[in-house]
Amino acid sequence: MSELLIKNGIVYDPLNDICGEKKDIFVRDGKIVEEVKKPEILDVNGLLVLPGGVEGHAHLSGSKVNAGRLMRPEDGRRGLRRKTAITMPESGYSVINVYGEGYRYARMGYTTMVEAAMPILTAIHTHEELRDIPILDKLSMTLFGFNWFVMDYIRKGEMDKLAAYVAWALKISKGYGIKIVNPSGGENWKWGKNVSSIDEPNISFGVSAREILSSLMEVNEILDLPHPIHVHCNRLGQPGNYDIAIDTMKISSGFETKREREPLHVTHIMFSSYGGEKWKDFESKTDEVTKEVNSNKNASIDLGQLMFGDTTTMTADGALEFALCKLTGSKWSNSDTEMETGGGITPQIYSPSMPINAIQWAIGLESALLVKNPYQVWLTTDHPNGAPFTTYPEVISLLMSKDRRKKEIERVNKVVQKRAILSSLDREYGWNEIATITRASQAKAYQLNDKGHIGVGADADIAVFNINPEEVDPSKDYEEVERAFSATKYTIKGGEIVVRDGEIVKVFPGKTLWTNAEFDGYYELIEDDLKDWFSKYYTVSLSNYGVSDVYLTNPEVIKTNPKIGGRIEVPAE
Amino acid sequence: MQNITLKSKYDGRISVEAEIITPDNFSGKDAKEIGEMDLFMGNKTVKLKDIFEVSVEGSSENPEDTEIIIKGNTDRIKRIGEGMTSGKIVIEGDVDMHCGAMMRGGKIIVKGDADSWAGREMSGGELLIEGDAKNYIGGAYRGETYGMTGGKITVKGNVGAYLGEKMKDGEIVVEGDADMISGMEMLGGKIIIKGDAIMPGGEMKGGTVIVMGEVTDRMPTFKMDGMEIIEGIEFNRYTGDLSVRRAKGVLYMKG
Ligand SMILES: [Zn+2]
Repeated sequence: MSELLIKNGIVYDPLNDICGEKKDIFVRDGKIVEEVKKPEILDVNGLLVLPGGVEGHAHLSGSKVNAGRLMRPEDGRRGLRRKTAITMPESGYSVINVYGEGYRYARMGYTTMVEAAMPILTAIHTHEELRDIPILDKLSMTLFGFNWFVMDYIRKGEMDKLAAYVAWALKISKGYGIKIVNPSGGENWKWGKNVSSIDEPNISFGVSAREILSSLMEVNEILDLPHPIHVHCNRLGQPGNYDIAIDTMKISSGFETKREREPLHVTHIMFSSYGGEKWKDFESKTDEVTKEVNSNKNASIDLGQLMFGDTTTMTADGALEFALCKLTGSKWSNSDTEMETGGGITPQIYSPSMPINAIQWAIGLESALLVKNPYQVWLTTDHPNGAPFTTYPEVISLLMSKDRRKKEIERVNKVVQKRAILSSLDREYGWNEIATITRASQAKAYQLNDKGHIGVGADADIAVFNINPEEVDPSKDYEEVERAFSATKYTIKGGEIVVRDGEIVKVFPGKTLWTNAEFDGYYELIEDDLKDWFSKYYTVSLSNYGVSDVYLTNPEVIKTNPKIGGRIEVPAE
Repeated sequence: MQNITLKSKYDGRISVEAEIITPDNFSGKDAKEIGEMDLFMGNKTVKLKDIFEVSVEGSSENPEDTEIIIKGNTDRIKRIGEGMTSGKIVIEGDVDMHCGAMMRGGKIIVKGDADSWAGREMSGGELLIEGDAKNYIGGAYRGETYGMTGGKITVKGNVGAYLGEKMKDGEIVVEGDADMISGMEMLGGKIIIKGDAIMPGGEMKGGTVIVMGEVTDRMPTFKMDGMEIIEGIEFNRYTGDLSVRRAKGVLYMKG
């Protein structure tokens, strides 16, 4: 029995309505408890204490991330850190090796991560890498946005089969929920084209983004999946795409869900809030987009904040990566994942003097400042697309300090004062709101009831930061804020101290969470279709497909209650 | 003035990573301090004194007044002079890869042959190789945007393939012959090859390559646009490599 007492910290725990209280926290056997008997005592008098951070959207593991590493040895040599007696070596700045990913998150007080894009076909690769990411608990989002089975069932109006396929695919890929990238448009990219609105039917399947989104949102509800459909919008990263983000969010308005979370999440909103018709008249449309968020309780967003510097962009949206590499002339890679998805990668250097980049930088911050309810916002950089996740401390300090934003605005291209609205925004985030957008919002959105808070019964995932929130004024001492969030005093994961004074002191594998939404007769519903297309089109056989449990570290299954099973009659042979 | 002599005792085949050997790191230190510095040999850490006998004459806090002479067998010693900013290194024998990589100033003289990547991403100073040199001399790190961005490399012998790959500025002079595709993906700067060359200028976008000897397998993607006399010799002037968009590389060849 291991016990811990964290004494006298200033606790912010939004999900339990604890806002800056001096408070003791008791830990036994990896859980928060009401009292302890003979604990190890950490007296953190006056220091900021938050629940362990939850990364809601990042690209950390799998074929695409690894292709990025292979493509960028020059990135690999940045951020080198030697191995120690307990840690493996670290490498990379934007495409980080698996060990470095775990250590760097842990040093920043994060204890849970979501890999945002997992193709079913290469899910084994994703889990092989997840297995080697130390410390963190791990979830992966399975890609469905232009999967052939999905589009075929939607085209035929076979919702039961669609639900069965999604349940099967989540189980076989060990995925947590439904990720949708460039719905319908991704299929057109295989013909070198794209879609321009959410109502345009695509080539060969004739289904639109709207049909895919609303069908999968329905299936998400039928299967009782814990997470909203997680959407990367059409025309992402293109001027004049803000109306698509709004149209996409509107699909969820009025939708009824039994789960206590939004039914739809629009990811990396920074890449989807663009006005103008061309790059020449490119401008921020954050005001319009956030107006929709503020009036639609059914949608949440994450920022996808862009920070200046060198990074690597990577997404299942192959068309976007091609457009980007045409802009920069940089190296580029594209892949087609058979009948399921695709992807592209290209490096980017975001420069504060470039008008486009300066406006993009402003848009991410504007989104956070304009959405009223912090539970509808998650802090992300869409790692590594907007910037590496290691820039979070700087983003936090920008959200907390108007002075810092003002200083930055003076440094970046002047166009930001005309074609963005950041300079007119006075709001400054408080500690509680920062705790919300880095932990509580994600825990709620993923329905991780033991995460993102430190109430009794929660996992003992705790971050203690070397800063006294009662003495420091984040509005003025923004550099202190950035420093404090860069490396914790303590990170505690499952009741164990893993980081002490910014250094990793203990390493062990975290849990792997996935969702099992199978229902009576679900496989029989789709068996013939699977066998048919696997024998005709796939390069692997059905029996060699999918991820077995041996790939998962400490697997934890989320079992759902699908509202479909009993009423399905499987036809006799 | 400080003169440091390193006499190699090493005849193993596992390479030794010796980026610590620079005037910047050695100046003002005595033989004992230098001997205690760490080197990597394979996956092990060794002391410099395990590989070299160290002797020091005089003392200087200023790397500019620091000269390192390396004697004995050094053909498995890598990265000598990496990132040095001033002073001088003289290597009496052959050196392994990455000699003078990322060098910013000062001078390195290699009296024997140099292996690949000598002068990689060098931005200043001078690297003189009296023997032959292998591939990617003055080139870029794998995946990087730029190779050499300044300084001068002279090779008295022959060089291998991809000389000055992605070179952006600075100068390379080769007195012997060059193997395949000198100036590959070059962006600026100048390469002079006094001997023969094979397929020079492939995918070059900027900069100048002059081949004074014979050229084998000329790239078909260069356009001849005039004649020029350089050092009394008549050259045809070509622009390319036109397989790359907006290419403005200049290639001089005879005939
Ligand atoms: Zn993403």
